[in-house]
Amino acid sequence: MASRIKLIAIVLVLTLLGGGLAAYKHVNLGIPLMVGKKPTEWLVEAKVSFIATGDPVTARLSLPTVAVDKEMGVDARSAGYSFMVEDDLGEYSAVWSADEKEGNQALYYRVRFPAKGVDTAGPIAHTGEAPQAEEPGLTGNLRAAADSVVRRAKETSSNPDTLFVGVFREITAIEGSQEIALLKRHYEEVANGQALTLLGIDLLNMAGVPARKAYAVRLDEIRGAQDPLMFVEYHDGVYWKVRDPDAATSTVDPREYFVWNRGGEALLDLGGGENSQVVFTTTRDVIPLDKLTDLRGSGLLVSTIFGLPASERQVFRYVVLIPIGAFVVVLLRNLVGIATLGTFMPVLLALALLEMDLQSGLIMFVVIVTAGLWFRFLLSRLNLLVVPRVAACVVIVTLLMMVLSVVSWHLGMRGGLRITLFPMIILAWTIERMSLIWEEEGKRSAILQVLGSMIVAYVAYFFMKDPQVRYWAFYFPELLLVLLAGIILLGRYTGYRLSELMRFKNFEEA
Amino acid sequence: MNRWWHRFFRTPGELEAMGVVGINMRNARFVLPNNPRRLYDLVDNKVRTKTLAEEREIAVPETYGIASSPAHVRYLDRLLGDHESFVIKPARGSGGKGVLVVSGREDGYFVKPSGARLSMIDVKHHLQNVLAGLFSLGGKRDVALIEYRVKASRVMTEISFQGAPDIRVVMLHGYPLMAMLRASTRQSDGRSNLHQGAIGIGVDIATGRTIHAVHHGRSVEQHPDLKVPLIGVEVPEWDRILDIAVTCHEMTGLGYLGVDLMVDEDRGPLMIEVNARPGLAIQLANGVGLLKRLEPAAERAKKYPHDERKDKIAFARKAFASRVVTA
Repeated sequence: MASRIKLIAIVLVLTLLGGGLAAYKHVNLGIPLMVGKKPTEWLVEAKVSFIATGDPVTARLSLPTVAVDKEMGVDARSAGYSFMVEDDLGEYSAVWSADEKEGNQALYYRVRFPAKGVDTAGPIAHTGEAPQAEEPGLTGNLRAAADSVVRRAKETSSNPDTLFVGVFREITAIEGSQEIALLKRHYEEVANGQALTLLGIDLLNMAGVPARKAYAVRLDEIRGAQDPLMFVEYHDGVYWKVRDPDAATSTVDPREYFVWNRGGEALLDLGGGENSQVVFTTTRDVIPLDKLTDLRGSGLLVSTIFGLPASERQVFRYVVLIPIGAFVVVLLRNLVGIATLGTFMPVLLALALLEMDLQSGLIMFVVIVTAGLWFRFLLSRLNLLVVPRVAACVVIVTLLMMVLSVVSWHLGMRGGLRITLFPMIILAWTIERMSLIWEEEGKRSAILQVLGSMIVAYVAYFFMKDPQVRYWAFYFPELLLVLLAGIILLGRYTGYRLSELMRFKNFEEA
Repeated sequence: MNRWWHRFFRTPGELEAMGVVGINMRNARFVLPNNPRRLYDLVDNKVRTKTLAEEREIAVPETYGIASSPAHVRYLDRLLGDHESFVIKPARGSGGKGVLVVSGREDGYFVKPSGARLSMIDVKHHLQNVLAGLFSLGGKRDVALIEYRVKASRVMTEISFQGAPDIRVVMLHGYPLMAMLRASTRQSDGRSNLHQGAIGIGVDIATGRTIHAVHHGRSVEQHPDLKVPLIGVEVPEWDRILDIAVTCHEMTGLGYLGVDLMVDEDRGPLMIEVNARPGLAIQLANGVGLLKRLEPAAERAKKYPHDERKDKIAFARKAFASRVVTA
């Protein structure tokens, strides 16, 4: 009986601790318990990282003009640095400075704005004198090649907009002209990575259209940390406009991209450090900034994940969901009695489903496992040793995924392309394990166990997908303690499983 | 007292009244408290179990050899010697996984009981799989036991379709609670897993006579393929079987366990393996809920902690005798 008291005590403590913290957050910090009452916001975070060399450090990051002008929720984190925003004729930059830093440094700058998106790519009127196109200063062969490209582009255009399209069509044509090939080679030597965009900018300038670099960020939560994209800003005679060189014909969609900086400045200018890098993280949030600072300023236990920068926080989006999946597995195995392949395979499968469309995910799973199983049986005729056979299975799964992605793309199922994120090792391992069970216990139990895994994964997915559940897991992670209490209680359940009521249906006392 | 819902399920109340033990209860109330983790390796590793058993002079199938390295596989001929029939099993296998039975040899080929032929390469490949840990818990590297193939006694083979039935005795604190025979059918293909269509036959603890049989969870009186009666068969050397089972409890120290045996035509009962988490199908085979025997045994163990082997057997035979009068 003593163990029962201990159990109840543990469960009570966990429930009170978890529930209490959640209640405190709700009552004192005013974080809503229910999801979706407030419109969501985008949070775009720039993270500047570098290795300080021991000299005084000055880091200058170009900022989005709109954000500073409209006083969007901006916020800079910079422990040990003095910080200011510098205004240079309407072009803003964040300036951090500090004395004698050494080792790895990270500086953060955040911008928040409504989820509808702000049009950061809209036309801006130029103040002062009309801008002049800058001569890129090409010579010799290169000059001649560039001239002929510009001439061709000009012949088919009537204004700067169509010229822009024409120039980038020339550059990105699959069967590029010889001139472009020559220019490409030159630019790739000078600038790595974004050579084509720089080439386009120079060609526009040569054609008499002033053009310069702009930096944009893709609004996409799943991506994690991303490098800035280089866009092109050009002057059409009246306005400065921004376009994506990869989608030259369309204007920039504010729901998909946030143009961080325009005006042609370098994104980052750093003194006193090396190996500098700027990466961006975008994430959706529901808490307004004033509440968030409250939360971040509070004690360690309460602030939890929000004490972290967005780039680190992003990792927890899925991590906090795993316990919920595990709870579902416990429920379905110990209370219902569904047989699964391995204990936590369904959780991993559910995580994979979260990253793609449910329906195509399940279809892909079935197709890959079936086909993989078939190949696996072919392989087993070759009498391979175990480890090479599993490795061969991984190769087959990879190839199957590639084939399926291509096929589904041709069939017009875009969701299928996400399959590349489907954890391959899980699939290979599932196939290997299933084929063993197939041989040892018969196809009936193999199929039953895979079906069981899929059902459990589906239910887990259903919970993990639910916005309310996700909201609680992310904003009230202390509720996981209550979940833990539930799991501990379930661990002591000694009653019948639902499946046993059926298993023993013919039980007759002899 | 048949109700309409009995076609689909039984209510928890009904099962409880019959003393049926579910998996959750088995684990939480019997396996976990009585079987300390550290003892598991004694039974999960058949080489260790056999060594222990030989120390206690428990009859086990003779070991011809142990293959533990690729060199042993290369020189399999030498390991096999001139044994016509033998069994290869992984030391850490469970539930009969990876067991290869060879019943004879014919012009350079090995013959399985089903008549299928295997070449030397096939057998070596099987051995390599065993060594790589294909059949062991958690895929750990394993060794393979090559041992005597039991020539099952006639009484036993007569009620089984290919392959000899094995006998399982489940015990708590060394008191034999229940026993069953597992006989294969055409459908179960030589396997003794009830899920796959093997027949579970309950055996009376007191007399060693079969009293009840189930196939796919339903009571049967006859073997579905062989059409021989399954009830009233007398298991040979029942006293020795009980004695071996209880000795297995003493040597492993496990509180709740199942012992699998086979009866050899010449050598009598041989211990095959010990299981620390025996399944619950034995209740179906006997038509008795395990709890009805677990509780009295636990009580007895508490009251008489110094019971000797023979006291335990005597108590079990008296307390757990079948009430069915067999013809």
